[in-house]
Amino acid sequence: MVRHRADYLYVAPAVLVMVLVIAYPVWFTFYLSMFSTPPNLALEDKIFVGLDNYARILGADSVHEASLNTLVWTVASTALAFVLGFGAALALNRPFRGRGLLRGILLVPYVISAVAAAYVWRWLLHSDLGVLSALAMATGLRSQPFNFLDNTDTVLASLIMVNVWKEFPFVMIMMLAGLQTVPDQLLRAAQVDGAGPWQRFWHITVPHLGNVSLVTVLLLLAANFNGFTIPWVMTGGGPAGASEIWITQIYQLAFGRIRFGLASAYSVILFAVMMTMGYFYVRALVGRDRAS
Amino acid sequence: MAEVRLANVRKGYGEALAVDDLSLSIADGEFVALVGPSGCGKTTTLNMIAGLLEPDGGDILIDGRRVNDLDPKDRDIAMVFQNYALYPNKSVRKNLAFPLQMRGLARAEIARRVDEAARMLDIGHLLERRPRELSGGQQQRVALGRALVREPKVFLMDEPLSNLDAKLRVQMRSELKRFHQDLKATIVYVTHDQLEAMTMADRMAVMQGGKLQQYDTPERVYAHPANAFVASFVGSPAMNLIPVRVTDGGVAGGGVAGGGWALDLPPELLARARQARGGVLLGIRHGAIRLLPSAAPGTVAAEVLTVEPTGDITFLNLRLGDTDLVASVPPEQLIAAGQRLWLTFDMARLHLFDATSERAL
Repeated sequence: MVRHRADYLYVAPAVLVMVLVIAYPVWFTFYLSMFSTPPNLALEDKIFVGLDNYARILGADSVHEASLNTLVWTVASTALAFVLGFGAALALNRPFRGRGLLRGILLVPYVISAVAAAYVWRWLLHSDLGVLSALAMATGLRSQPFNFLDNTDTVLASLIMVNVWKEFPFVMIMMLAGLQTVPDQLLRAAQVDGAGPWQRFWHITVPHLGNVSLVTVLLLLAANFNGFTIPWVMTGGGPAGASEIWITQIYQLAFGRIRFGLASAYSVILFAVMMTMGYFYVRALVGRDRAS
Repeated sequence: MAEVRLANVRKGYGEALAVDDLSLSIADGEFVALVGPSGCGKTTTLNMIAGLLEPDGGDILIDGRRVNDLDPKDRDIAMVFQNYALYPNKSVRKNLAFPLQMRGLARAEIARRVDEAARMLDIGHLLERRPRELSGGQQQRVALGRALVREPKVFLMDEPLSNLDAKLRVQMRSELKRFHQDLKATIVYVTHDQLEAMTMADRMAVMQGGKLQQYDTPERVYAHPANAFVASFVGSPAMNLIPVRVTDGGVAGGGVAGGGWALDLPPELLARARQARGGVLLGIRHGAIRLLPSAAPGTVAAEVLTVEPTGDITFLNLRLGDTDLVASVPPEQLIAAGQRLWLTFDMARLHLFDATSERAL
């Protein structure tokens, strides 16, 4: 055991940095969540209120609405991005002319800065000046401008569409990598055994992609649950809170209304949900590792 | 069961010809080994019989029917792969049942055949396990079982033993041989290991550079190699091939000479040696060389370089003139490196090859 003492020394700098930038903020958020803070930066005037902030967050109607939005946003974005990305990966997995070029083009959304993309899409979807609305009118699909973002019924769906566009290439790359590791010999064996293309896909390829699918979906779920940039830049949660999700509400509470105590309590709730998801993520990975 | 016939089959990859004008007949119930070094075209040939590769030319016939344009599943063949290619997410039972399900057999029939194969291969206790929970030998048996349940016309096996450790390989070799004897199955077996081909096959097809070098029983291939390549490939250690030139004169009227040594040949061998257009390769297996402690008529002197005891037999690396060769002695005969010995060759087991064409003379 003594011989391992030096090992701790080697990881000490990393641990120190992590304590500074992760552990301390987490602890301070938790601490602050027990206080009512004044609507300014004079944190020394805070008043201890126990779990009152939590009660107010969990009891607020706006939070309930945002919770439903968060669920729809997270699940729909993940599911659609996965389906689209997997489809693209399957299409790109067989050789054809221009495959490399197409792969490059499909990758573009993923490598563009999220803020820049969100701004561009905000203009594309603009009801009066947007290209998409104008196209719909020019082709006679609609007689009047279409409100993508200024309509409480369509705003969340529009954001989800942009989000899916932004992250499906990630799925594509992950699944393409997975597809390329499907053992050729298994596919040949199945072919000799009499399996057609669809049966080979279902019996060989799909089971082989189990691990990479799981990792991809869980990473997407976490990223979307925390997905701040697109909703914030495109709508800021509006109109009338129709595209409000947890993370935009927290940001608004903390830095718009300067309610640090309340925002901290909200953050702790989000943190707990994320950690629960993380727990299942790690458990699923470890379980599969053991199994294989 | 069925016979397989290849007629002038060709297959190229880009510029290179992997299989060059191959014709081969495999009789009903015969165990044929395609053997050769890597890149000789043996696996390509097997994949063409299976239907996984399409030949560029020539015909493949199974039971007299041309199958060139048939899908693998319609050829009534089963294949055993080098890495077994078991479906990792399916239990052994489901692995065995898979080819039958794909053919839409009734459930009861599937169960009957799976149980029968499991009993025959002694894997009944493994049916609920996943492939990764099995040892290499067990996986090998399951792979064999998956081919067996199909009751195919032809079994195709692609180096099925090469992933096993040496001891298990020997054991599986005799199991495969018994499998063949019990089933009277037509088997085409690809291997790079000449010993596997020798021990199991009824006939072996020795290939090199996409061309068939010799196709005959293991005994005949060993005793009468068609050319210098077959001679050096079959048998271990490899046959000694010594470049010599044909000489005239002497008591016998002629012989051969290497760098710094000469040997008279009997008239029959001499006549054959004289057919060579250029030089001659003298082929002699280690067992056909006798060693004497002192000089005698018809012997040549050699120096012992190294001694390699293997238990049953001791191999000697000798230097004869300017070439090296391998001879063997019983382990009781104690010989030291650096010792000088006199060799005689068993003339009945001497092989002569044309040095230019490498063909047997």
